Amino acid sequence: MIICRDLCKEYAHGSARKQVLRNVNLEIRPGEKLALLGRNGAGKSTLIKLIGGVEMPTSGQIKRHMTVSWPLGFAGGFQGSLTGYDNARFIARIYRRPYAEIKAYVEEFTELGAMLKMPVKTYSSGMRARLAFALSLAIEFDCYLIDEIILVGDQNFNRKCHIELFEKRADRAMILASHSTEIIRESCNRAALIKDTVLTTYDSVDEAVALYQAL
Amino acid sequence: MQLSTLQKLRVGWEIQVRVIHALMIRELITRFGRENIGFLWIMAEPLLFGVLVAAMWRVLHGPTEHGMSVIAFAVTGYIPVTLFRHGVSRSISIFSVNSSLLYHRQVKILDLILARFLVEMAGGMMAYVFLAAVLMVFGEFPVPADLGLLVAGWMLYAAFTLALALVIAPLSEMSEVLEKFMPVTTYIMIPVSGLFSMAAWIAPGVRQYFLWSPFVNAMEMMRKGIWGETITVYYNIWNPIWCSLVIGMIGLALCRRVRKTLTVQ
Repeated sequence: MIICRDLCKEYAHGSARKQVLRNVNLEIRPGEKLALLGRNGAGKSTLIKLIGGVEMPTSGQIKRHMTVSWPLGFAGGFQGSLTGYDNARFIARIYRRPYAEIKAYVEEFTELGAMLKMPVKTYSSGMRARLAFALSLAIEFDCYLIDEIILVGDQNFNRKCHIELFEKRADRAMILASHSTEIIRESCNRAALIKDTVLTTYDSVDEAVALYQAL
Repeated sequence: MQLSTLQKLRVGWEIQVRVIHALMIRELITRFGRENIGFLWIMAEPLLFGVLVAAMWRVLHGPTEHGMSVIAFAVTGYIPVTLFRHGVSRSISIFSVNSSLLYHRQVKILDLILARFLVEMAGGMMAYVFLAAVLMVFGEFPVPADLGLLVAGWMLYAAFTLALALVIAPLSEMSEVLEKFMPVTTYIMIPVSGLFSMAAWIAPGVRQYFLWSPFVNAMEMMRKGIWGETITVYYNIWNPIWCSLVIGMIGLALCRRVRKTLTVQ
């Protein structure tokens, strides 16, 4: 279970301030697949970063009673100057997992072959997505935070993700920020819509998607 | 499962040790790569600096000064100063440069500072030991009279450098002006880093002010540890200890504050 209570996030630059999220209350139960909807800049990534502990809320509290992945997205989590293998080694070390296991899983899941010996900054966004998913699936979390990145893969990758994430790990929770209503309808069982800094949750995904499309 | 506070502390400590270890390895790989001598490069820079400056001093000042070998004097002065200058300059903008690491919750901003500092310290100390050993063979470096005092001086010098890094890292995120002033500030601080002169060479009226600098106190300890009874030194061991503690505490508070508003790409 993840509980967010009265989360507020404000960014300040010089004297300019911007309120991104206001009094967000949210609970994510084990196994729940929550879709995060909202227009560009609505605060989806910010909320995911707060839940992932990457950034700190201006006020409010987050309690994590299950293990939460780092936000899987286009930025962050990797060090561009290191190779895929070095990144895997780093992650194995800080999450205390045997490197051999992680390495084998990454090689099999990503199918990147010799590219794993190249710096991550030379990867395409699809290749990064493969590596990010492989590493987080190899570590095993109770809740996966996915920021857009699920869309960039090719057919083969999407199929693999589907099997690994939605079939083999159907018991895990997930928060998925995406603009693809198709993927959301297919894979989520609850939805939240962020509009004007306020988050509203809906038990019906279709209802939330309809509201989102009307924005 | 409920853990007692002590158990939580132990688990937390174990995680931080693991994270710092991983960060240090990453730092070594990104900075020095795996080609040729690899991570041994960490001592190459302080070593080169020490050797060249010592050679220059030898030419300018002759073989000895106040009964000390000029080469040994320069080496003992310059290598710690390299630690100070690198330690400070490497802590500038350290959080934003490494922000992608903060995606992993167990990586704390203090780990970033500590990992870099430890790499710099290891480099400086390795260069120091290596150079001292080589110079001893040629009779240019005395066998340390009091190894304990030498090590204690080094540790206090390093501790104060770390305390400065803890303050400068968060401040550099708060203000861009600081970043511009840092290089010139470290340069101006060189005279009070204990590098050029011993407290005993300074006029008594000025000496007391000179001894306000924690660096000078630590440097005097190191040199006493090396030359022993043959030189006169002035130091107060509490000066670097207190300065490091107070400045370090301020640094920790600033780090905590900055973490709340840190924007991670």
